Amino acid sequence: MDRRKFLGMGLAAFAAVVASKTDLSAVDFRATKPKAWEAVDSASAIKELYGTGGLKESKDLKLKAPKLAENGGSIPINIKSSLDLESVALFQDANPRSAVAVFTVPANGIVNYDLRMKMRKTSKVTVVAKGKDGTLYTTSRNVEVSIGGCGG
Amino acid sequence: MKVKAKAKGDITKVKMMFKNPMAGPEEAKKKKIKSEFITQITAVYNGAVVYEVTTSGFVSKNPLFKFEFKGGKKGDKLEITTVDNNGKKESKKAKIK
Repeated sequence: MDRRKFLGMGLAAFAAVVASKTDLSAVDFRATKPKAWEAVDSASAIKELYGTGGLKESKDLKLKAPKLAENGGSIPINIKSSLDLESVALFQDANPRSAVAVFTVPANGIVNYDLRMKMRKTSKVTVVAKGKDGTLYTTSRNVEVSIGGCGG
Repeated sequence: MKVKAKAKGDITKVKMMFKNPMAGPEEAKKKKIKSEFITQITAVYNGAVVYEVTTSGFVSKNPLFKFEFKGGKKGDKLEITTVDNNGKKESKKAKIK
């Protein structure tokens, strides 16, 4: 790739971030917490995203994931909670980097998120949620992967 | 992008499907393709953000996302916008059924 093209791409990315900020008032965690996306394990990703505050195991934060996933390329995940949350983040320890997705909970949003993710191997899947009062909740589950996804 | 939104009572359920390889740098290198993944998805209803997520290349390819929000009337429109790591922006308006 030549330099001109590369610079152009950077500019376009920057423009997109700025544009989405202004017209949607959205929180781009990639821009605000870039280090969290580079962290290789859950513990350091959580630290980068939410600081070093203590995590509280909570029954009101529910993570649904298969015990055994046959296809590591598509693992269904459901995150549900009745707590008053500000943001919810999903991490795993199977891939080169830990962060999978970070949700911002809007005023009239409901925490009931479904998505599918990739995992190279068996590992722990962790969800951390930040309450509006600043409390950090967590829950985790072990997912066994028989055939790794993520380009495997 | 395919979007299905259905209002039931005071809750609207939304399903979204995107066409994207969701290839992070490592995967792109292995498959010899360009790194391309969605980094952000936003849903706007009535001028307010109702769903927002920042994603990485570890979400499955051609991802499927589901969410719910309070409010939402039949016939109204919901706008979904995605931004990928190359800065490409896509958006679509879907009618709530």
